[in-house]
Parts: sequence; structure tokens; C-alpha cells
Amino acid sequence: MAQVLFRQFKNPIFAILIACAFVAGFFSGLNQAIVILSMIALSVVLGFYNEYKAEKIVENLRQNVSIKAVVTRNGKSLQIDSKLLVPGDLVSVYVGDIAPADMRIVKSKDLQTDEATFTGESFPVEKVSDKIDVEQPMPQQLTNYLFMGTVVVHGGGQGVVISTGRQTELGSISRSLARPHPETEFQKGIRKYGTMLITLTLALSIGIFSLNAAIGHPLIDSLLFSLAVAVGLVPELMPAIVTVSLAQGASRMAKVKVVVKRLVSIEDFGNMDVLCTDKTGTLTEGKIVLKDYFSVDEEKEPRIMPYSLLCNNAVVEEKIVGNPMDIAVWDYARENGAQASVKAYAKVDEIPFDYQRRMMSVVVKKDEEFILISKGAPESIFAKCKYAETEGRKEPLSAVLESINAKFSDLSQLGYRILAVAYKGVKAEKSYTAEDEKDLTLLGFLIFTDPPKKDAHQAVNRLKEMGVEVKILTGDNELVAKKICADLKVPVKRVVCGSDLMQMSWTDIKAAVEETTIFARITPEQKLDIIKALKANGHVVGFGGDGVNDAPALYEADVGISVDTAVDVSKEAADIVLLEKDLLVLADGINEGRKIFGNTIKYILMGTSSNFGNMFSAAAASIFLPFLPMLPMQILFMNLLYDVSNMTLPTDNVDEEYIKWPKRWDIGFVRKYTLFFGPFSSLYDFLTYGIMLFIFGAAANPALFQTGWFVESFWTEVLVIFVIRTRRIPFLTSRPGKWLILLTLSCVAFGTILPFTALGGFLGFTALPPEYWALLVLMVATYLFLVDAGKVFFYKICKF
Amino acid sequence: MPDLDLFGWWAVSISGGSIFLTLVSIYLYAGSRKKCNKGEQEAVSIGTIVKNFMFVWVLLSLLVFYIVSIQIGSAAIFAAGNIVVEVILVIYLIRNRTKSE
Repeated sequence: MAQVLFRQFKNPIFAILIACAFVAGFFSGLNQAIVILSMIALSVVLGFYNEYKAEKIVENLRQNVSIKAVVTRNGKSLQIDSKLLVPGDLVSVYVGDIAPADMRIVKSKDLQTDEATFTGESFPVEKVSDKIDVEQPMPQQLTNYLFMGTVVVHGGGQGVVISTGRQTELGSISRSLARPHPETEFQKGIRKYGTMLITLTLALSIGIFSLNAAIGHPLIDSLLFSLAVAVGLVPELMPAIVTVSLAQGASRMAKVKVVVKRLVSIEDFGNMDVLCTDKTGTLTEGKIVLKDYFSVDEEKEPRIMPYSLLCNNAVVEEKIVGNPMDIAVWDYARENGAQASVKAYAKVDEIPFDYQRRMMSVVVKKDEEFILISKGAPESIFAKCKYAETEGRKEPLSAVLESINAKFSDLSQLGYRILAVAYKGVKAEKSYTAEDEKDLTLLGFLIFTDPPKKDAHQAVNRLKEMGVEVKILTGDNELVAKKICADLKVPVKRVVCGSDLMQMSWTDIKAAVEETTIFARITPEQKLDIIKALKANGHVVGFGGDGVNDAPALYEADVGISVDTAVDVSKEAADIVLLEKDLLVLADGINEGRKIFGNTIKYILMGTSSNFGNMFSAAAASIFLPFLPMLPMQILFMNLLYDVSNMTLPTDNVDEEYIKWPKRWDIGFVRKYTLFFGPFSSLYDFLTYGIMLFIFGAAANPALFQTGWFVESFWTEVLVIFVIRTRRIPFLTSRPGKWLILLTLSCVAFGTILPFTALGGFLGFTALPPEYWALLVLMVATYLFLVDAGKVFFYKICKF
Repeated sequence: MPDLDLFGWWAVSISGGSIFLTLVSIYLYAGSRKKCNKGEQEAVSIGTIVKNFMFVWVLLSLLVFYIVSIQIGSAAIFAAGNIVVEVILVIYLIRNRTKSE
């Protein structure tokens, strides 16, 4: 809460306003200072209230994406929220997990962690359960200790929780878990916009002060006026409005099962034009089912099922938790009553899965016999096999490899995923390593299927219509990926394999990514290269992934998209988490992102152009009028009232054609828009000067002049939103949001009756003649029609 | 009669604003033409340019009308003129909208 409050005072506008209040209080009387200070207070309260509310929404959304830990309590394995861990809990960790607490390792198997966020060490650190003999060790020396926030990159193990939360090493030194994310396209745009505003403000305020001083206006009045113009130019509630817009959008996105972890990524989410994703769960159901298993000679070999259940990492309780293929084996066994087949075996050791070997192994004991069982990607298993078992006999693998490969190719083309199972007899050892995975005997295959999603074709088409091209990045082979695409009628332009990418230069990769739909058999590093190449080609790239190997790509992409069921490290790296892994959910989220971008841009375009117009005419008037066209406190009050009228802009409707296609932040467009629409507002300000001076004789009555201009300026500035917010015919073919209509008209009403109130008198306003109101209505109507005509011209020549 | 000095300043300011807007329109139009290919550039006739710049003609006419009516100091003429211009703009807007708009 304190941070949000402090942020309100960090705004440079705040310093300018304080300076204004100080100068006004010192030289022009207490009234002006009180008004300016009240406006500062109101501005701070409004900004604080909205940003605090926004942060609460986001915090609540983040609660939806919790990190889970596998804990053993009373001899039972449970998956619980990591926040519920207590010292003494026995926690199991596997590759991809983020350590949920500080733990003393009691069991480890090839366990390596990435401690970069903790110690700055960029290489993985090997972790063991052995006691260490160092007095007062440094954290880096605690090799039997697993620190909260570090990532398991290899192997697995178990540890006893020593401390949790703020009591951990990480908590005590308050080091951030994540590196700062690269600047998003939206953040870059806001930065450029800020620079443009500062330049414009400085130039205009210095120019106004110099001119006013040169023509003999009092120096203090000139200084106050130029400061007020500077403040008037800057949309000071913009940070609050953008944050509210993003937070409200995040809240709406949560309703379509899209949880936003990093607010600033929403705009890029809406604007992304390329989505790189794995096919599992997006194009397919994501529910892996074991369809069949058979031996090398295609028989129902009875050992395949128990061996697959033993060489398996799933946590089996009432609910089975773990790797989807391991779960599928257990589901199959349960459905077919085969789970009892493992009772004759005792597990001795495990060589965990890793992405280099693409296999895992266990050593089991049956009677007095020790057996090493391996299960993994067929190519990896074949490489470790010397024999194959056919009709109960062992024969050299080379004799059957050709027919096995042909079968493997046929099944892959049908979209099946295959794991191979192999074994060998081993001697009793204290422990086993990956070195023992050699001279195996190929026993058979597990045939899995992940059926195509019924709505995937519709989802890909919808994304295509939205201007988002889907590219498949998969570790699977190209045949499987092509078959899925063919089943779903997803057009494939080109298929590139990881081995092809390795041969390509950076220029070739940049060209290839444009024309390729499927990247198959690729490594995590290659995923990263593909995303970098697409970004270098000017795309806003989204990446959807859920595995540990996806984390770098999730981080590198403009929008990292993960799912709630993903490994912890992926969820941490992601900007957006989908509660359902579904491209249709994603499409709904993109729509929301585009609406938010549309409303933010509306505020920026409208605020900059009308403020620029008003302040430009104020500057010109200050030169030829014998008095200030508006008092500084009146300018500041109008600015505040204008910002209040915009508070509901984030809830406005956005035209269909606007969200149809991805948009990019274009500072050149903002500049053109300001240059074109700003002078419209100035022209009608000048016209009001003319009416006030030469029809109502306000040359001798500064208060009347200032009131007339205040009302006209406020009406035009606020009402023009209904014209500018759409390219269509306002109200007839594009209806504004009801809250926008309500608040805008309320503000106009307030601004209209203000001169007749005590507050108006305090601000220096006076009652206007009835004829003025009639002319004002006609003049503002002409202004709005003229801006609409200008809009037709502008959008014919300026595309956005 | 209005104070000539003040009126002169005012007329110069409002004319300056209108001319600035006209120049910006020409600049933006020229910029967009540069981006077109040669064939498209040739296809644009003077009639089309006149039509495209309709709002500029309305703007300049309005400028003259506003200066004259304010010099006369007549609220009635000012009001009547605005109504006429609004009718012209509505007709222009109806005729120049595309179907999607």
C-alpha cells in the first residue's frame, strides 16, 4: 500500500504542481495555492485509489496460480500448495521444480540446481546428501542444501524442510526470484510517448514564459501561467488510467480463464501476430492415453506392463500425479487390472529422466535377480541397446532395426507417440548411474495417442482471422506433427527439423522462420533462436509452453504463455497463465488484450491532441490579451475535471474492426494525430475568444472571458471523445460504453453549472449570459461535425 | 465596432490556426501519396483531391464566415451560419462514409 502511495509522488507532474502552489501562494495569494494543493491531494487520492484497487485485483488473480510441492507426510505422498509447507516436511523434487523452501537434502540422484537467482552462479550446481565439513559455510558451499527459489535442472531428490517463506535464505536477503523482464513493445511505446510529451511541454512552456515576459506581462503571472500550461499538457492521471485499464482487463481475462501475471504484457498479448506453441494440449486433447503395447514381434509381451509401471515417476495415490505418459501407463494398468503385476518387484535405485538422455531407468530386484529397466524416446533407447527380444530369444538389434524403424515410422505417421522399453540384468551395486545404461535388450513399445482436439481447427482458423499465425515448435518428430496438422486441416507451409536449423546461418534462420509452420525435433536453445529470429523480423511473438525446457523461450518471447498444469519454472517465467490449455481460450484473451490497447490508445490520442490544442490557444491568447485567458488554477481544475471524465474510458466498447487485427504502438501516428486534431480544438478556442471579446464585450471583463472559455474548452475537450473513440458514426454505428456516457455527461453538467456555484466564484468564474449558451451549443455541434469530417479525411490517409 | 488592434490579433490567430491545419492536411496527404505505388498516384484526379479535401474547404469557408459574422458582431448571423454549416457537414459525412463505418 505504501509503495502505491509513494508512486503517486514520484510523478514529475507532482513536482511541477508543488512549484505552482508555492509560487502562487507566495506571490498571488493563498486562494490559488489552496486550490492547487487541493487538486494535488485529489489527484493523489484518485491515482492511489485506482492503482491500489488494480493491484488488489492482480494479487487476487496471482493467487490462482500457485506453486505445488510433493510432500511426504505420515508415509503418504501428497501434492500441496507450497505455502502450506512447514519445517520438517519431507519434500520430493524433480527436474523443472523450483525448490519451495530451504531444505537439507536427504536423498539425491544426479541432482543439479540452477542457483543463478540466488548466488549468481550461472552453471548448474551438483547437490548431494552427504555431510559437509565446513565451519560457517558460505551458501555456495552448502552442497547438501537446497535453497528456496533455485531450479532443479537435472535429476531429482528429497529434502527435509528447514525453513520456509521469509525465514529462508532467499527471503532474508530479499533477493528477487526473477530477473527483470525485457521491456515490452508497450513499455517502449509509453517511453517514447513520454519523451515526446516532455519535449512538447518544455518547448511550449518556455516559449510562453519568454513571450509573455517579453511583451510586458508580470513575471510571476507569466511563470505561473507557463507552469499551468505545462501541467495542462500532461495527462497526469495516465499512469492510473493505464493501470486501471490493464487491471480491469486482467480481471475480465480471468473470467475467460486467462490469468495475467505481468500486467504490462497484456498489450503485447493483444498485439502479438505470431504464436509459437507446442502441439500437445493446444492442437491435441493434451490427455495422453496408452492405446496399446507390444513386443518387437508385435506380441502382448507380459513384462512390458510391469516394467513400464516400475520405470515410472508418477505419484500414485487416489489421484495419479506426474508426467502425462507415466500417468497414462498407470491409468491403463488400473483399467485392465494390471497394477498388481509390480508386487513381485522391489525398487532399488533410479536414474532420473533428463532432456539430454531423453530416457529414465530404474533398477529393481525380483527374487535374487537385479534388473535395470529403461524407458524413453525410441531413438535414445535404440542407441543404448545391443539386442532385441523376439519370440523369447535375444538377437542383435541390427538384425531387426530396419523393420522396427519402418513400424516406428508408420505409427508416427498415424500420429502416435511411442516409448521404447528395454532391460538388462545387472549386479547388485550401492547405486547406479547413466553409465550403466548400455548393452540393453529392447523388449517392446508403448503406443500412446493424444487425440486431436475437436475445436482445434476452429481455434487455429479464428487466430488466423485475428491476424495471429500459429507455428508449431515440438520436440516430437515431424511425421507426428504433420499428421496432427493434416487431421486438423491446418495448412503447413514448410517443415524444418532441428538438424536442419543447426546447419543454418542466422540470416537463413530469419528467412526460414517466416515460411515455416512446423519446427520438429528441436532443442530448447533452438526454440529460443526461433523466437529471437521472429522478433528480429519485427513480429510480436507469443510463446506457449509448459515444460522446464520451455522456460528460456517463455522468458524471451514478448508474451510468455503457460498453463496452470505446467512445471513451476515455466509458470514463473510466463507472463500469462491459462487455466485451460486451449487455443480458443487464448483467442478470447487476445480479444481482451486488444480492447485494452484500444482504450489506452484512445486516452492517449484524445488527451494529447485536445490538451495540445487547448494549451496552444492559451499560449496564443496570452500574447494578444491584456489579461491571462484562464487563471492557472482554472487550467488545473479543468485538467483535473477532464481526467475524472476519462476514468471510465477503460470500460468503453471497442469497435469490432479495431480488434480484428494486431496493432503496434506507433509514436509517429500519435504525433500525426496530435498535429492534425490539436488545431481543431485551438480554432474553436479562438472562435470563443472572438465571441467573448466582440459579441459579449468581455475585453473589459476578464472573469467573463475566462468563464466563457473554460466552459467551451471543457465541453469540446470532453465531448470530442464520442467522435474520436471510433472511426464509425458516433452513437449510430458505434455505441460508447454506458459508464463512459454517464460520467462524461455528468462532468459536462458539472462544468456547466460550476460558474453559478460558490466553488465557481472561489475559482474566479462568473455567470454567463443566456445567449452565450445558445451559441455554445451550436458552436460545439459544428466543432464535433467538423472533427468527424476531419476524421474521415485523416483515416483515409493515415493507417493504424 | 470592435477594437481594431485586438480584432486584428484575433483574426490573425484564427486564420493562422486554420492555415496551419490546412498545411498539416496537405503534408499528411502528400506523405500518404508517397507511400502509394506509381499506378495509384496517377489514378487520383483533381476532382478526387477536391472531394478528399472537402473538410478543408468547409474549414476555410467557416473561417471567412466566422471572421465576418464576429466583425459584424451579430449573434443571430453567427447562429444561422453554424446551422447551415452543420447541414453541409452532415451531408458530407453521410456521403463519404464507407459501409463498414
